[in-house]
Parts: sequence; structure tokens; C-alpha cells
Amino acid sequence: MRRAWQRTVSEWVEGLRIALSSLAANHLRTFLTTLGIVIGVMTVIAIVAIIDGLNASFATQIGNLGTHTLYVDKWQWINTRDDWWSMRNRKNMGRTELEAIEREATEALAVAPMAGRSVTVAAGAEELSGIRCTGTNQRYLETGGGSVAAGRFLGPTDVELSRSVVVLGADVADRLFPKVALDEVLGKRVRVRGAPFTVIGVMARRGRMLGMDLDTNVTIPFTTFLRDMGGKRSITIAVTSAPGRLSQLEDELVGILRRARRVPPEKPDDFSMNRQDQFLKLYNQLTGALYGVAVGVGLITLVVGGIGIMNIMLVSVTERTREIGVRRALGARKRTILLQFLIESSVVAALGGAVGTGLGLGVAVFVALVSPLAAAVTPGAVALGLGFSALVGLLFGIWPAWRAANLDPVEALRYE
Amino acid sequence: MGDPLISIDRLARHYSVGGEVVRALDGVSFDIQAGEWVAIVGQSGSGKSTLMNLLGCLDTATSGTYRLNGADVETLSDDQLADLRNKEIGFIFQTFQLLPRASALANVELPLVYRGISRKERRATAEQALRSVGLGNRMHHRPNELSGGQRQRVAIARALVGDPSLLLADEPTGNLDSQTGEEIIRLFGDLNARGHTIILVTHEPKLAARCPRAIKLMDGRVLGDGPGAEVAALQGPRAVGT
Repeated sequence: MRRAWQRTVSEWVEGLRIALSSLAANHLRTFLTTLGIVIGVMTVIAIVAIIDGLNASFATQIGNLGTHTLYVDKWQWINTRDDWWSMRNRKNMGRTELEAIEREATEALAVAPMAGRSVTVAAGAEELSGIRCTGTNQRYLETGGGSVAAGRFLGPTDVELSRSVVVLGADVADRLFPKVALDEVLGKRVRVRGAPFTVIGVMARRGRMLGMDLDTNVTIPFTTFLRDMGGKRSITIAVTSAPGRLSQLEDELVGILRRARRVPPEKPDDFSMNRQDQFLKLYNQLTGALYGVAVGVGLITLVVGGIGIMNIMLVSVTERTREIGVRRALGARKRTILLQFLIESSVVAALGGAVGTGLGLGVAVFVALVSPLAAAVTPGAVALGLGFSALVGLLFGIWPAWRAANLDPVEALRYE
Repeated sequence: MGDPLISIDRLARHYSVGGEVVRALDGVSFDIQAGEWVAIVGQSGSGKSTLMNLLGCLDTATSGTYRLNGADVETLSDDQLADLRNKEIGFIFQTFQLLPRASALANVELPLVYRGISRKERRATAEQALRSVGLGNRMHHRPNELSGGQRQRVAIARALVGDPSLLLADEPTGNLDSQTGEEIIRLFGDLNARGHTIILVTHEPKLAARCPRAIKLMDGRVLGDGPGAEVAALQGPRAVGT
């Protein structure tokens, strides 16, 4: 028993030793053979790393939308069907719907209107145009609207009394009042679309979402917005549910909205429910396709690399026919020879896989440095690259190794 | 006398070449006792190589029986034959058949690798075997750094290292000059004196004449079996020259 075990160990060690010495004896050939595997693994690793990086950055960005929040809107944000016109002709979303939801939705934890338009904000000689102005209420932050860095957010009274108060986005505060401490900004007077407003708070920095800068905006009470910025615009209503109750909330809101908007029973909804995971779904569809293409290309390259390995292994078997005969004569079993050549092809392939993984990660890091694309190195990607290449070596090594193992020892010893 | 080390009975090996049956070996019988030194002599085509492959368990017979050290070789599986070669037979080839990239020591260790001997024990045994053939100072040389005679000594050490019951030498002096060949034959004499059983396959009657016993083959059959000097001189009906 101990003998058999020891024999297996010696066979493996010997196989590994032979593989390494044979590879070392043929530098150039080993290098050329592994090139296919190297390129294949490099491609897969680099693309997977970049896509993983994109995914991570997208997930962070999309996190700016509340996870448990439905955005009730006239528009479907992700327009999968080509019905722009039918949405354009929908009735605007407004106070009626907001009040209906506030009154009737039992599943809603927080309801906040979001009316928006682009405005000019000025303080003294400083004037910023193209600033997003959002009119909302005190529940806005609970629906995933960020947090306040200084001062306070809008309160119920601000909304009730349509006060001319404003909460500045982090960038707006920076640009209007450079070199002024955040606390000093509070109480300053600014003009939003010409009308005077008092700063009551500054938002914490939020970053970007899908190319939209979330820090170059100002927030004012919903009622003030309707009075000063125009009340005819369609608004978005953000409604937050308890964790895990988003679909119950959606069902409830559909009923409330159909009644509020007097949609006849036979007609489809004339409003849309937007949610974060729709973005994720769309995004995953896009990157999933890219993923598939990348992995497909990588696999094809790996197969080509595998054929290269098979070819060189067949040459190696032929070259070493006499050696195989000697080993058989000295007591090597068929499976010992099989093992020897399988180890050799796997080692070649795994070597290529390791080099390819290193290069792929290098490419990903390089791309991340010189372009806005992110790159995330996941252990999974590395394991995938190494595992796949060793597997390729094993698979494409089977036939040459089988041929080696089944050589007739008499013929092999006589081979010139 | 106890059971013979080798006992073959009506051993035959037929090949079919292009639909024609070639009787390379056509019913050969003899016994060899442990400790004997036997030459198997015959001209090219006499069947001696075929017989050697059968005796070396590299090939299996078409018919007849072969018992080696109590084992019925015909009934063994491929793995069992490999194990038998490993334990019972030490091969010595005309062309040495050393692994070119391995040192003398590594070459000699090889049979022990396939036997599952630990690295340390393997090394010690292989060094011992190399010393016993007078190569204690050449252990780490590669075959291409050794002379022909030294290479054959490495091969002999490799054959001896596993302490087999049979040394099977195929034209061991064929690639050596006469003086070196002479040294190798003397080494065989020493080994035989130390108790090793040796079968020496050769086409040279002069070499066979120096062995205590010779078996002469012709056309796949035994032409003569007896003291080396007598059998080597036998001329078959169709023998031409030497």
C-alpha cells in the first residue's frame, strides 16, 4: 500500500521533472507553443477585468437611485419599446397624482415629488448656467436623494409656505462661493432664475450617475418651484417602500394612479414605474453580450493554442519514441507514460496561462490608467484564466499522450 | 536442481506481414537455471531478437509457454508485464539506450523510480551500482560526456540496480571497439561469478564460444544447445560464412 503510494508520488515527481527539463531544453519551441494560450488568456483576462471594472463603477453610480424606490413618471426612463410618441401624448404627472399617492398609498414609507428644469444660479458677479433645479419636499432624502453636508434640508414649513430657500449641490456651492467655508455659505443670498433665494443647506458630494453630474444642482421647495419655475411641467414622484415590498408598492400605486388619472379599465397604464434594477438589467444585457463575445474570442484563441500544443506534443512524442521504449523496458506502465506527457502539456499550457494572466492584468491596469474605463482584478478572472489554460493543455494533450503510452515497446526501442 | 529460472516450451511468435505469416520463432524450448551465463547466438533473421523480446517480456508469444521465476508470462496484463520487467529483468542494449538529458546517476535511478523507492534510498543504491561497474567518479556526467565503454557500463549499472533475477544483454559489445568490448565481456564474467544470471544475445560465434552455454538459433528453431565452444561452431544446413 505504502509502496503503491510512493510509486505514484515518484511517477508524478518524475513526470514533472521530465516536463520541466524538456521545456527547458526547447526554450524557443516552448515559447512559440504557449503563445496562442498566452494571447487567449490575456484577451479574456483583460476584457473580463475591464467589464468587471465597468460593472463595479456602474453599480456605484446607479446606487444614487434609491434601491427601494419607484420613480413614477409620464416617461419610461429606459425606453425599450419604440413608443416615444404615445408617451409624449400622455397626460402630465402633477399635484393630483402626488396628493392621491400621499393620501392612499399604505405601502409607501416616503413620497417626494421631483419637478425639474435647467436654470441659471447667480451670487454677486458669479453666474452659473445649466444648473438643474429640483423642486421637492422634506421626504426627498428618504427616497435616495443624498445627504446634507452643512445646514439643513427643506422642512415641511418651507414647502407649506412656499419659502424662497435653496439647498445647493456641492459643486454649485464651490463655484459660487470659492474659498468660503461651507458653514459660511449658509444664509447667503443667491438668485435662481433671477428670483432671490436664501441658502439653508449644502448637499454632500454624490458623484456622477450615467454621465449626469449630481453635484451641479440646486433644490428648492416643490411649491416654490411651481410658483416660480412654471407649474405646467410633468413631475416625477419618488415613492419608497419598505425593503422587499417594492412590488407590493408598485401594485398599489398602479391602482391609485389609474383612479387618479381616470384610466378606463380597458386602456393600458398611461404612466411608467421606473426603478433602479431596470437600469441594471439593461446594463447587464449590454455588458453580458460584450462578455460573451470576449469569452468567445478568448475560447477560440485557446482552442487554437490548444491545437498548437497538441501539435508540438505529437512532435515531442515522436522525438522521444526511443526514450519511451526505454522507460517501458525499465518498468514504466502505460499510464506512467500517459501521465508524463499529460503533465508536460498541462505545464506548458498553465505556464502560458500564467503569463497570459499577468499580461492581461497589465493591459487592464494600463487601460484603466490611460482611459476613463475602470478595471477590477477579480480572483475569479485569474482562476478562470489559469484553470481554462490548464484544462486546454490537458484536453489537447490526451491524444499525444495516449499515442505515447500505447507505443509498442519493441518498436519504440528500435525507432531511429 | 530446483525449478529453473526460465522455462520456455514450444514458444512461437508469428507475424503477419502483408497477409503472409512469418514464423520468426517456431517452437523453441529450453530451460535456464539461476546463475547460468547463456549466449543466444544466431545470424540475422534467426529469430534471436524475437526471442530476446519475448524473454524480456516486451512482447508476448503467439503460442507456447514462458515461465519466468515462477510467473506464467502469457497470462499477465500489460501493467503486470511492466512490473515484471522492472523487478526481474535488467536490459543491456547494443546502443546503450541511455536518456541523453539525464546524468549517469539519474539514468541508473530510473528503474527504481518506477518501483517507488524513496529518493534517498534510490540515490544510494544507484551510486552503489555505478561504483560496482567502476564508474564511481563519473556519476554526474551526461551520456555525451562519456566514452562508449563508460556508457555501456552505465547501462549495465542501470540493469543491475534493481537486483533483477536476469540480465538480458542484446549485442552489448556491438557498438564498442574490440578492447572495450573485451572489458565489458570480462565485466559480465565477474557479474556471473557473483551469481548473476546472464543471457547474452549475439550474432558473433566467437563471443558465444566464450560463454559456458550457448543456444544456437536458425530460422526460428533451436539448432544446438550446449557448451558455448561447441554450439558456436555448429554450421546449419543453409549457413553462409559467419
